[in-house]
Amino acid sequence: MSVLYSCSHLDSPHSPLPPTYPSSSSSYHQLDKLYFCEECDAVRCDQCVAVEIASYFCPNCLFDVPSANVRADKNRCARSCFSCPTCESSLSIQASDVPTESGQPGPPYSLICSGCRWSSKEVGWSFEKPTGIALQLQKMNHQTEIVQSEFDSLKEHLESYISLSTPAPSAPSSIRSTRDPSRQISHLTQMAQKALHRDVGGMVAYSARSKGRSTGKEGEKEKYGWDELGVYEAKGSWRAGGESVLDGVDILRDLEDSGAGGMAEVGKRWGKSWDNSKMTKDVLPQRIPLQTKLTKRCPHPNCRHLLIQPDTKSIRMKIKMVAANYLPLVEIGRRRRRIPSNDMNEASEQPTTEELERRRRERRRTRGGIPIKEEDESMGLPLKRGETYLFQLALTNPLYDPIQIRLTQPHAAKDVNTWCNVSIPTQHFTINALKDAWAYDEEEEEGNDDFLIGGSEAGFSEEGTTTTGGGSGMGTLGKKSRLSILGGQGTKKGRDRETGVEKRSNTSKVILLVEVLPDNNTGDRVRFDLEVRYTYKSDEMATPTEPGEGSGNGEKRGKKEEYKNFTFWIRIDLGVVE
Amino acid sequence: MGAFDPIATYEKGTYIETDTGNKVSRKATITGATNIILGGKSIIQTGSILRGDLRRSTAGQHVVITMGRYCLIGEGAIVRPPGKMYKGSFTFYPLRISDFVQIGPNSIIEAASIGSGVEIGKNCIIGKFVIIKDLAVILPDTVLPEGTVVPSMSVWSGNPGKLVDTLPETYQEAMEAKCKSYYQRFRAT
Repeated sequence: MSVLYSCSHLDSPHSPLPPTYPSSSSSYHQLDKLYFCEECDAVRCDQCVAVEIASYFCPNCLFDVPSANVRADKNRCARSCFSCPTCESSLSIQASDVPTESGQPGPPYSLICSGCRWSSKEVGWSFEKPTGIALQLQKMNHQTEIVQSEFDSLKEHLESYISLSTPAPSAPSSIRSTRDPSRQISHLTQMAQKALHRDVGGMVAYSARSKGRSTGKEGEKEKYGWDELGVYEAKGSWRAGGESVLDGVDILRDLEDSGAGGMAEVGKRWGKSWDNSKMTKDVLPQRIPLQTKLTKRCPHPNCRHLLIQPDTKSIRMKIKMVAANYLPLVEIGRRRRRIPSNDMNEASEQPTTEELERRRRERRRTRGGIPIKEEDESMGLPLKRGETYLFQLALTNPLYDPIQIRLTQPHAAKDVNTWCNVSIPTQHFTINALKDAWAYDEEEEEGNDDFLIGGSEAGFSEEGTTTTGGGSGMGTLGKKSRLSILGGQGTKKGRDRETGVEKRSNTSKVILLVEVLPDNNTGDRVRFDLEVRYTYKSDEMATPTEPGEGSGNGEKRGKKEEYKNFTFWIRIDLGVVE
Repeated sequence: MGAFDPIATYEKGTYIETDTGNKVSRKATITGATNIILGGKSIIQTGSILRGDLRRSTAGQHVVITMGRYCLIGEGAIVRPPGKMYKGSFTFYPLRISDFVQIGPNSIIEAASIGSGVEIGKNCIIGKFVIIKDLAVILPDTVLPEGTVVPSMSVWSGNPGKLVDTLPETYQEAMEAKCKSYYQRFRAT
């Protein structure tokens, strides 16, 4: 059971592919994960926004790491935050049990896991001070030193090559030439030629070679010699670490003692591939990786406006352009199954499309007169083949102005084979504006009893008749009278819900008729798309872009009162077929 | 938000409603009530236990549990302050819960502080001195070991709990609306 919203990514808004195409699922997201760019007047999703890192912080000590230090710290917390080698929860610092003169616990300190009681004493780590553990560890831990010195010498070796291969004399062209990828390729092919002692094809190399040929062999040799990469000799060899026979015996003996659990999981050895040991007891605590706060931008190359800008100090966002503040929230619920009357039961087992069409029309006709039996069902139950279900679709307006809704099925949906036939009896309706919180509370108190009954069918008969107005023309009434109308509306609209719209504060509910087709397979998910277009009043005087489809619907209709359309697509998942 | 959420009802008289709108079950075990502060519009459901009697051993008035507005303590949840040895004697430390916090049924909470907009699922164990910052989700059946720090906008799960996901930027509004809506829907039959 879900309602997902489409994001057309960078395309102009269009109806996505129907749900029968699995590839269309990448365009659909939950509303609360979508962004909205006001400049482009378009929905943006996590897949298409441009992301920048606003700040780094340690998830354990919550220290804001300056971005200048992040690289040097290797993206991990450089203070005292370590994760447990066995259970990955954070380690805490514990003073030794040895009583000191003052009677207070003191050094040496060790790291202890409060989750699994692992202690750093197991790997022989103890510290003088309870602060700056990472720094203390760096001093005493040689493991990282070896790796670091190896890395440094390798870097040095390669740097000498890089400086050599940058020709100094031809100064103006040097910058350009080093950036030229074909030059690198030519080096590669040249080196390959030397190694193989024969010609190797290559665009640039070819011309270079032919030129070289003409100048003679000596010149060629000189030219090729200057950027040759020398052989790097590692300080320590992986062989030296010794997978010797005796080590193997030791490992096997250890494994015998500890069982299969003695072997460390790949995930735990991942971070330190330099070490040879595969044993759990040799896994060391790792510094905790840093987390980031992200700034998100509109991906459109001509826009690049900020959609999300977090505040590094607090949880507030400086800029927050989320779709939930612009698009109406759509929810589906209140499932009811039509219980067919007898003559309908007799209908042919496998109805054709015309038959289904006829039946639906019939039902629509009879709705007013003969009451059709309906049975409330839980939303979680699997759907039955060939049955007709009624759903309620609730749309909640996030705007401070009333909006008009038009619900349609995207034309694409009709062409392809789907799981169900959907009909929308009420295609056009309005939703009231979002109001201040205090107005809500007041309304809630007034309309509470009415609202309560919304859940149970029986309550409607005994409810009062306090209604005065219809769904439209609200704007002209005063606040007080509007509230009273809204209070009563739940009951009035509730009673003839079949034809109308059920309204409550800034939410409108309409009926959706879904006929699950008889040729569905068991386990199919019933899904369908809806096109929702809403018209809202815009205070903006100038409109840089046409909203929605940009088909001229957003034309100015006056100086102040400007109406705009926005169209979006939703995908509704009703659950599995039994 | 939550247009189809069912109404949660309770039998009339099983809950006490305070002046500030708190709804406290008569069947909840609340000890040391003078040491507990409720911010208002909070719900304490049947079978839950709040240990206000576990106070600091020194003399004087000590607040043990503070709770903000629109909080929910689920059925059978246990909320008790954390305690440890300090300077040779065992003492309890206060437990602070901010606004819009929902604690699921049968969870055990011994945190030091829980920020606003935190949702803790059912059957969770939140260890001693855990600090949960504002806006976080602890999924059901999670065990957070002693002293864990849960940063803002994160989702935690597992035993022992690990950071598994981050929350969308809209979570704050969604959680506040959810808590308010639950309070509105929780009413006597």
